[in-house]
Amino acid sequence: MTKKKEHIAVHAEPVRGGAPGETLTPLVDVYESSDGSIVLKAEVPGAASEGINIRVDKGVLTLEADTCLEEFGERYAWTYQGFEGGHYFRAFALSDEFDRDRIEASLSCGMLTIRLPRAASAKTRKIEIRGE
Amino acid sequence: MTIFRWPSGWDPFLGLRQVQRELERLFGDSVGAASRQVGGGSYPPVNVLNGPEELIVQCELAGCHLEDIDLSITGETLVVKGVKKPPEDDSELHYQRRERGVGEFSRTIVLPDRVDADRADARLEAGVLTVRLPKSEAAKPKRIQVK
Repeated sequence: MTKKKEHIAVHAEPVRGGAPGETLTPLVDVYESSDGSIVLKAEVPGAASEGINIRVDKGVLTLEADTCLEEFGERYAWTYQGFEGGHYFRAFALSDEFDRDRIEASLSCGMLTIRLPRAASAKTRKIEIRGE
Repeated sequence: MTIFRWPSGWDPFLGLRQVQRELERLFGDSVGAASRQVGGGSYPPVNVLNGPEELIVQCELAGCHLEDIDLSITGETLVVKGVKKPPEDDSELHYQRRERGVGEFSRTIVLPDRVDADRADARLEAGVLTVRLPKSEAAKPKRIQVK
């Protein structure tokens, strides 16, 4: 069982995006839920669903999000700046055991949730032993 | 808990940034220029803007729900408290990677001006909390007629 989990391991190195300007690496949680699917949660504060782009290509899941914070104009002076909007980018290598057609994504409270269901062929199957 | 007060224009990381810029110049763009890790430092990250009529405080609270955030103002001090809850079935989940923190947080922000707390307005949208704090009459500039 443990061996299997290692095999699924989602590779999550920050990959340099080709986007101009500064690229931010979102913080992610990756876990296996009770039904066996892998859930990936990424923090993309300030992103709207139309600014998010998720792709699966050649076994690589890429997640991109453009976030823009509300702007207040020139009449406001910055007293302190702790964060800013920008371009989020992260890529993950997927193993073959996920059903790529059934990947679902949702956005709520600045959190992007991507659910990767396991392909039927990759699920553990119990093999009945027939008696004579 | 973090308390910070800033004279305008003072940058606590100026020295570090200068070192980083020098390194970038020496080694090309490899040191944190193209890809910056978010997180680390005080949580939640805040922005403070000072306008003619009001102050605006923005907090990055991705994954926080309205009912889990508690805001309070005492004089010139704004306190953002809250809790980032883990999923309900957290103990049963097999984590492969866990970068997002969970648990209680509190940050104290010393405002650069006095505000009228009764007229404060706060809203949470897409994980960003925006608090608008109208300045109190005493904090607004007054024109003095020279006779």
